[in-house]
Formats: sequence, structure tokens, C-alpha cells
Amino acid sequence: MAETKSDIHLYTAQTPNGIKISMLLEELGLPYKVTAIDLQKNTQKEPWFLEINPNGRIPALTDTFTDGSTIRLFESGSIMQYLVDRYDTEHKVSYPRGSREYWEVNNWLFWQMGGLGPMQGQANHFTRYAPEKIQYGINRYQNETRRLYRVMETQLSKSKSGYLVGDRLTIADLACWGWVASAYWAGIPLHEFPHLNAWVDRIVARPACEKGRHVPKPHTALENRNKTQEELDKAAAETRAWVQQSMAEDAKK
Amino acid sequence: MASTPNPPKPIVVWITPPGPNSWKVIVVLEELSLNYRIHSFRFDDVKKPPFIDINPNGRVPAIEDPNTGITLWESGAILQYLIEVYDGAAHRLSYTGLAERHLCNQWLHFQMSGQGPYFGQAGWFQHLHAEKIPSAIARYTAEIRRVLGVLDGVLAKKAKAEGKAEGSAVWLVGDKMTFVDLAFLPWNFRLAEVLVQSWDEVWAGLPHVRAWHERMVELPSWKRSMEHRARLMDEQGLQWNGVPKGIETFTEYEEKIARGEDTTALGK
Ligand SMILES: N[C@@H](CCC(=O)N[C@@H](CS)C(=O)NCC(=O)O)C(=O)O
Ligand SMILES: N[C@@H](CCC(=O)N[C@@H](CS)C(=O)NCC(=O)O)C(=O)O
Repeated sequence: MAETKSDIHLYTAQTPNGIKISMLLEELGLPYKVTAIDLQKNTQKEPWFLEINPNGRIPALTDTFTDGSTIRLFESGSIMQYLVDRYDTEHKVSYPRGSREYWEVNNWLFWQMGGLGPMQGQANHFTRYAPEKIQYGINRYQNETRRLYRVMETQLSKSKSGYLVGDRLTIADLACWGWVASAYWAGIPLHEFPHLNAWVDRIVARPACEKGRHVPKPHTALENRNKTQEELDKAAAETRAWVQQSMAEDAKK
Repeated sequence: MASTPNPPKPIVVWITPPGPNSWKVIVVLEELSLNYRIHSFRFDDVKKPPFIDINPNGRVPAIEDPNTGITLWESGAILQYLIEVYDGAAHRLSYTGLAERHLCNQWLHFQMSGQGPYFGQAGWFQHLHAEKIPSAIARYTAEIRRVLGVLDGVLAKKAKAEGKAEGSAVWLVGDKMTFVDLAFLPWNFRLAEVLVQSWDEVWAGLPHVRAWHERMVELPSWKRSMEHRARLMDEQGLQWNGVPKGIETFTEYEEKIARGEDTTALGK
């Protein structure tokens, strides 16, 4: 394919969904521009951003497409599929389209997008941000997140490479990493899952992932391993105020 | 137009009838007139062999395609596979271009991560959970309205950009219905139940998304899918909410499953 010059621009914040993309871009060695979005200030709800992502969430990405005009993409899973489809022609972190492994990567990618992300997100909500303490909500989503971790733990225990699919790190691993790395925030002690724990460290040990996880600012989730629940709760205060305010605004619409 | 290669051996689709996710796959199979066979089983058995050996996550749907030897789970991954392998020549529900392909993917991921999980949580707190927790119901109801608002805004803008007259067909990507439009159908179809509202209340202030949805409901492929559902629900003696007749709440149902009780006897 005749390559038009690409011009990748990532709109992101320091969150599990945002760092999926910066870690992937670093693994692929692609140049990219970054605009940090301030979620607390609701920059993601401003009209210029909604032009890129009508859903008002990060990450979003723009690029100069092969026809020379701009393509706008949102949803981290689709952004990852776009990047490897277009740029990972050597299959560093993906498999050739149509191969068995290609479809197996898709199982785990969609599993993360439709399962792990939303459920751990709800565990965060009820554990850290909810306006009232609802023990049922905490249990429901922590249990579901644990169940999902067990599914991943079993897969990794059977893997020779130490990654989810085949012999290499893929976008399936990258999609899950930020979420599993912040298990403690959702109130789940990661050391209960030895293979997952080792997988988290294996990925940080890759220089590209190490660089990518600190975009647009330093990634601190791993340091939560050593914090008490009380300390974590204190750290959640600012985000809690923002989440509750956005919920109140959405409810008015 | 090149014809769609119909697989000589039926694609086997593992489903439990009530939940919306399996019907995303069935409606696409129906729309492409592909050779497939439904393997319907009971919700009690999703976390047990043989199904757990097919999908380690213990969730329906999953497919086995004897024509390629591939087993897949997660409805989004299944849809991408069906489209690439069986709509790759005719492109009845998809496009060839890189940009359109990825825009379809974007909406598919939005459906998978933005619509499904939150509509599902709303349904859970509204109907399936025994205790009523107003703040949880309010949280997920607001999220449903937000997601519908995003879709309505996008469809409205597209109608305007395309200079379409009021009421004419607008689709999420390009100028024809694709598999991602269909992917939103099964959950939206259940909105009156999920929100406990009349059909008109559900769509108040959302004319574009309503028209888009109601166009798809009229498809013969969807009507056939829902006939299959009705028959399979009946076969298992299930009420509309997926709980066997004779059991009151989903919590009670799950407890019976956990205790290893035979819930089929109650359905009879
Ligand atoms: N399924 C989406 C989820 C994106 C998402 O949840 N983004 C969060 C940050 S991690 C966000 O932008 N929240 C802003 C808000 O809710 O206003 C994806 O993976 O891209
Ligand atoms: N409006 C959001 C704000 C919090 C937020 O955006 N959380 C992200 C994580 S940073 C989330 O849970 N995303 C779910 C996903 O990725 O599927 C809420 O109320 O949950």
C-alpha cells in the first residue's frame, strides 16, 4: 500500500484505557503527538473534543488517512485494531489477519472491552466513588472482577510465552494491562493471582511498555500495592467529587 | 455482486435463549442467510463442561465453525469473524475500505463496552436483583439515556450532512445498514422492559435513534430471530426475564443453581 504520511495524534489521560494506546504506540515505535485531557475539568465534554469522540470519553485518536484526509477514532479497542492493522505489518504485537491467533486475540480483546473494563470500572465506582456505601454493589462487582481475573489467571498458567495468545505480547495483553495493574484500586489484592502478578511485572520490564505507561503523566497504580485501603480512599476524594458531579449532570438530561 | 460463500457445514452457535448478546450473532447469520445451527442449552450449565471448555469465561454466545476449525467466543469477536470470512466477497453488511472497516469497528466496540454492560446492569438492578437500590438503578438508567443520546446526536448529524429528508434511512457508517447497526438492536429491543417505561416514553426526545431502531425491527431476519427465541424460551419453560416458571426471582434461581438443584422440574 502506498503510504501517505501518517500524523498520529492521541488525546488521552492517565487511566487504564488511555495507556493502552500509548503503550502500543511505543511498542510499534511510531511517532505521535499527545494532548492531555483533563477529565476533572470535563475537557472531554467540550464541543471540539465531541467532534472527535461524540461519546465524550478518552482515549481518542486522529491520523492522516491513506487518502490524505483526517480519520477520527474512538474506543480504545478499535483504536488498537486500527493501529496494528495499518502499521504492524511485521506483526510485532499482532498476528496476520485471518490466522487462528488473530481470532484468538480478538476473543480476549472483546473480553476486556465488554467485560473486564466495565466490571472493574463498576467495582471502582462502588468501592471508591459512590455517594453512599452500598455493600451489595461493592461485592457484586469485586466478585465479578475476581472471576474475570481467574479466567485470565488460568489462561496465563497454560501459556508458554507468558502472554495471553501465542508466542508474543499482543494488543490483548496491552488492553488488559492497565486494568489489572490497578487491581488494588478496585480493592482486589493482586498477589492472590500469581500468574497475573508476574505478567504485570513482565510487561513493565519491556522498555516500550515502561515508557508508554507514563503518558501523559506518571503511572502510579503499581505503587498502590503497598498502600492501605484507608490511604487509597483518601486518594480517591478528588475523583469522587468529579464522578458524582458528572452523574448528577447526566441524570438531569 | 459476488455471492456470499455459504459454508457447507452448519456453523454451530451455542446460546442460552433469554440474553440479548446471542441474538446479535443470530440476526447477522440470518441476514447473511448463512448455514448455521443453534445449540440451545440451559443457563444453569454455562459455567460447566462442555461449555466451559469452549469458552473459559462461561458466557454465551460462542461458535464452532467446522468449516475452518475455529472456535470463538465474545459476540464482538464472533461478528468480526463472520463478516470477514462470510461477507468478505459480497459486502452486504460491511465495507472493503480501511476507513469504513475501522469506523464499523469503532461502533462495535462502543456497543460492546458502552451499551451492553450498562444496559445489562440496569436490567439487573431493575428486575433481577431482589433488593431495590434506587441509587444503583438511577446510575445505570442515566447511563442508558446518555448512550442513546450519543447515538441520536450522531444519527441526527449524519442525516443533516447527507441532506436526508425526515424519516429516511440513516446508518452509523456510510450509506447502508451494516453489522454494527444490527449489533445495537437486541439490547435496544428490550428497552421498555429494562427501563420499565412505555415504548413512547423510552424514545422521548430521541426521534433519530427511534426511527433507526424501528427500521431494523421490521427486518424479516430479525423477525425470524425472535421467532427462534420464543420457541427456545418456551422449550425451556422460561418466563420473559429468563427465570424458569415456578421460580420468583433471579437471585433465587442463582441460589438453586449454586446448590445444584434441578430447576427444570419447576419449569414443567
Ligand atoms: N470503552 C471505552 C471506555 C473509555 C473510558 O471509560 N474513558 C474514561 C477514562 S478511562 C473517560 O474518559 N471518562 C470520562 C467521563 O466519563 O466523563 C474505551 O475503552 O475507550
Ligand atoms: N462517568 C464515569 C466516570 C469514571 C470513568 O470514566 N471510569 C472509567 C475508568 S477511568 C471506566 O470505568 N471505564 C469503563 C470501561 O473502560 O469499560 C462513571 O461514572 O463511571
